[in-house]
Amino acid sequence: MTASNTAKRSFVLLRIGPRRFALPAEAVAELAPPVKLHVFPHTSPSVAGVIVRRRRIVPVYDVGPLLSGRSAHGEQFYLITRGGGGAGEFRAILVSGECELATGEVRPPDADRQAYVAGTLRTSEETVDVLDPDALIASAQVRERAGVEARP
Amino acid sequence: MFGIAASSVQEIRSTDSMAGAANEIEHTNVPKVRHMLEWGHRTSYVVNAGMHFGLPATRPALVLILREARVAVLVDKIDRMTEVAGVHPLPRAFTGEERRWYSGLAYVDDSVIPVVQPSGFLTQEELAHLERAAEAGAARSEMQGAAQA
Repeated sequence: MTASNTAKRSFVLLRIGPRRFALPAEAVAELAPPVKLHVFPHTSPSVAGVIVRRRRIVPVYDVGPLLSGRSAHGEQFYLITRGGGGAGEFRAILVSGECELATGEVRPPDADRQAYVAGTLRTSEETVDVLDPDALIASAQVRERAGVEARP
Repeated sequence: MFGIAASSVQEIRSTDSMAGAANEIEHTNVPKVRHMLEWGHRTSYVVNAGMHFGLPATRPALVLILREARVAVLVDKIDRMTEVAGVHPLPRAFTGEERRWYSGLAYVDDSVIPVVQPSGFLTQEELAHLERAAEAGAARSEMQGAAQA
């Protein structure tokens, strides 16, 4: 990460469980209000269901178990991000409504951090992990393959 | 609630009316299938849709005899027949067995419902196992018949 892009980038701060994290603002399409979460039988435990947003069917991930050790199912807001790597698919993660925009100094992650931690953002008030959304989803899927359970 | 293309369904019957046409399959390790159905010169394996999708047990009242797969499906009820504007591909987020179960998602009256794929009710392995179990059952019946004669 270069000094120029660390200084200018904006981040969305979000809360998952007791912790706050940051996502690069350019990866975030929308913070959607509580809308109906449609659920149906499947065997992808990291997926909580789907929502319909702007005529799109958007899969919703519960990354709570990965990030905080407990499900974020009680949360009712959806942070919608754009899939990277040319996939282009929108996907959402369950979050609390406490989201805000922030800028700050970003430092590279420590070597022992998880693959989905892209750096550390220091704001005037706190220091939070910056998440790589693609790596986060990939980690959630790896985690679910390690212990698959059906979700009705 | 689930959707299935109307063109995939040959016939819909009550479970009561099919009792005489159903034969129990013994010793199967495909627990969602307990019967086979001889109907209209065809043999279909009867899949309990609730068990297939991992749903709580119910008392299915209807049998959907599917047109192309060798499958009949036990369901609780038919909600309605409707037209859908289109079937959306299943998002890539879904990576498990549901990719075989569903051909996509449809948006019907403010609800997103999965559209089931008829060929997804039984894998080739399950079909082969059921065929072996059915053949073994038929052979047993023949032997019993011969012994009684």
